[in-house]
Amino acid sequence: MEYLFTFPFLLLEVPNLRIKRPSWFQQPSAMVTYSLVLLSYFLVTGGIIYDVIIEPPSVGSTTDEHGHSRPVAFMPYRVNGQYIMEGLASSFLFTIGGLGFVILDHTHNPMTPKLNRILLISVGFICIVVSFIACWVFMRMKLPGYLRT
Amino acid sequence: MKKNSSSFSGWKSLIVFTVLLLAWVCGFASRLFAVIRFESIIHEFDPWFNYRATAYMVEHGFYNFLNWFDERAWYPLGRIVGGTVYPGLMITSGGIHYVLHLLNIPVHIRDICVFLAPIFSGLTAISTYLLTKELWSVGAGLFAACFIAIVPGYISRSVAGSYDNEGIAIFALQITYYLWVKSVKTGSVFWASMAALSYFYMVSAWGGYVFIINLIPLHVFTLLLMGRYSSRLFTSYTVFCILGLLFSMQIPFVGFQPIRTSEHMAALGVFALLIAVGALKHLQSVLSKAEFKYFFIVASITAAAVVFLSVVLLTYAGFIAPWSGRFYSLWDTGYAKIHIPIIASVSEHQPTTWFSFFFDLHILVTTFPVGLWYCIKHINDERVFVVWYAISAVYFAGVMVRLMLTLTPVVCMLSGIAFSRLFEIFLKDDENPSGPESDSEPESSPTRTLPEKPTRLRKNKHTDQSKDNEGLGSNVRSFVIVGILATLLMFAVHCTWVTSNAYSSPSIVLASYAQDGSRQILDDFREAYYWLSQNTDNDARVMSWWDYGYQIAGMANRTTLVDNNTWNNSHIALVGKAMSSTEPDAYKIMKSLDVDYVLVIFGGVIGYSGDDINKFLWMVRIAEGEHPKDIRESDYFTDRGEFRVDAEGSPTLLNCLMYKLSYYRFGELQLDFRSPPGFDRTRNVVIGNKNFDLTYLEEAYTTEHWLVRIYRVKNENEFNRPRIPVSLRKIKRTDTFISKKTSRRKKGLIKNRPVVIRGKKSVKS
Repeated sequence: MEYLFTFPFLLLEVPNLRIKRPSWFQQPSAMVTYSLVLLSYFLVTGGIIYDVIIEPPSVGSTTDEHGHSRPVAFMPYRVNGQYIMEGLASSFLFTIGGLGFVILDHTHNPMTPKLNRILLISVGFICIVVSFIACWVFMRMKLPGYLRT
Repeated sequence: MKKNSSSFSGWKSLIVFTVLLLAWVCGFASRLFAVIRFESIIHEFDPWFNYRATAYMVEHGFYNFLNWFDERAWYPLGRIVGGTVYPGLMITSGGIHYVLHLLNIPVHIRDICVFLAPIFSGLTAISTYLLTKELWSVGAGLFAACFIAIVPGYISRSVAGSYDNEGIAIFALQITYYLWVKSVKTGSVFWASMAALSYFYMVSAWGGYVFIINLIPLHVFTLLLMGRYSSRLFTSYTVFCILGLLFSMQIPFVGFQPIRTSEHMAALGVFALLIAVGALKHLQSVLSKAEFKYFFIVASITAAAVVFLSVVLLTYAGFIAPWSGRFYSLWDTGYAKIHIPIIASVSEHQPTTWFSFFFDLHILVTTFPVGLWYCIKHINDERVFVVWYAISAVYFAGVMVRLMLTLTPVVCMLSGIAFSRLFEIFLKDDENPSGPESDSEPESSPTRTLPEKPTRLRKNKHTDQSKDNEGLGSNVRSFVIVGILATLLMFAVHCTWVTSNAYSSPSIVLASYAQDGSRQILDDFREAYYWLSQNTDNDARVMSWWDYGYQIAGMANRTTLVDNNTWNNSHIALVGKAMSSTEPDAYKIMKSLDVDYVLVIFGGVIGYSGDDINKFLWMVRIAEGEHPKDIRESDYFTDRGEFRVDAEGSPTLLNCLMYKLSYYRFGELQLDFRSPPGFDRTRNVVIGNKNFDLTYLEEAYTTEHWLVRIYRVKNENEFNRPRIPVSLRKIKRTDTFISKKTSRRKKGLIKNRPVVIRGKKSVKS
């Protein structure tokens, strides 16, 4: 049995190396993992893959009745199309909303004083409400008939 | 709170039961918009094939179905249906039909097919509940079940009439994951075998089973990396892997793929790795430390080399197929665009925009990362699984709109966790801050019933009164709670609105609304298919673009050249070439393919945007891929690179077969008094080429709103006849007698008449 696994070392000399695991290489902490995940989530919901494949302009432009060209942030009526900036703006709002929920969870910690707790609650709640309403407005821009029968 | 523990748990299970039942009912009811507005009818394209196959199976029996060679598709090639289809869907509805008929309940198979997906959505809700319960708590599970019952991302593929593989596959996916998590938790062979069985059902139902067979090895691999190896993991994975692979090979369409294609290699590799790790752990307990160190180095190096070399050699020798193109397009996102236009041409294979995320998931898109945060923060074996599930599903959903479907269940689960946590914090007394592991307490359970509002509001009032003494003021708490409930309410409203407006159209019956709100039904598709079935020969071959192949086969029962099972790219390219060439060239192709009728969809009269002219560029692209010498995409654009059908359009486009068939005699039609004749409402232009005639085809039928136009291909002897003025016509007669008399000598003449001379007797000679 012992010859079986020491056999290669009869032929080979084991080099005298000391390989240390690099200090930065360790199982990442929960917060680091989550930040990476959240960043990729931010990018994917912003349609980064769409942007890479289709290569839309960052902001669109239209011509008004006087012949001037004006920038347009949202590509209206096109469910399967977007400009780069509109995608990033809305995915930013999604992330803000998500962070709002996380902040609301932090109020649970019994160590925080009461004032901070109320501040946290209001900040988290405002984040959620703002992102919700802004997404609503974006939907209206994108799909003018949204939620009207 | 005064009750003893047994009635306490009784109430709890009653609440769970009620919520799940209501989620089922709500999910079922909200999927019925299409049936109520239109009728009990199969939708769209693929469901028509599934319905036809199911009807065939019910009529001829299962074994005939497995041996079914469909000669009415892909003329002249035909299609071996039994070997090229995932039969789970047909077997499921056929089984339901069989059981109901055993009970003497005479239900038509069509009704079973129509209502199969809504019924399975309830089962999906229950399996999601079970999975979330395993991952977090009962409350989170109830939330997740309510979310998945009404979330638009899942409804989009499971409304009544959408009889497609995905309808039952999501249920199979969730139940497989549930059983897998259960088996990892318990380490019992029973649960692992159950997981393999339900994986078998998933394989028989949908091609998406590849997701499972890659995600579970990924989970195991991550657990190994994190040093979470245990004998429970070893048991469950080895049992699942072996049984699952064996089971999946029983499906004829899958066959030997599980051991031969690269998609499945991850499962086998992790299997080998797990066994190696298990052996090492065992040896570690036997050998001394120094021996083990040597052994570990040698063994790992040889094992890695052997595995790598064998995979490379087997791939090189052709035993292992490399990644298939469809799968490859998931990683290299530009792949399909360049190499496989037929995949890129399908609109549901487009990459996803932000809009789809919000449209399909609404508020859940923001709570999803929150749930993920809780899972990462309180990590354990099974939460590693859901984290990987979430990350991979988000990525795939970003690549393809269609895969939003696999993202939706995990979003519902994680959002359920997030909301459940939030309610736990804000509804509970501060005295016992319970960890996430503990089961939620019953006073917050009623609030998890999302769809039914009266119960929820009443219970909230009750709970708010019960605790107003601790930490935060009850005002702040109730403010937050009311706000979040309002958000959930908006979620329900959004889901219903989206379901009703976006996902409940059968797309073979169109509805248009006049300005006074009255509804007009456009039933042109069925009109045309019925005409085909009544007025053409039984073996007539109909050429159309592949989108309509299943519908023609299902409704008109006629032979088609290409259909939605796009397995033969060159055949489709040939049809695309016929559509995009000029009439004489197209005639040669059509004659070589024995085409009798050509069917085109034309939306210019009613402004239907999904017609063949709008799809035309894809026909050109696909044809160009196979016949680059004859068809060039640039010919169909104007000099400025625009695709337009008006007078400035490129002459190649204005003379190709598709243009002519769509706009034949359209120039004579004036739709209303404000627009000129030949005004195309879909593209808002006056067409460029108005006065032309068809030589090789003739119009056979055009439906009421010109949506479907059918042309008959003439025979050779019907059109090779130049028109000659009457005066120049020479009529050649061969069999009739022509008199040589002039007009002067019109008297009759008898040959060998005896000449009578007066005064002489006739002499007989």
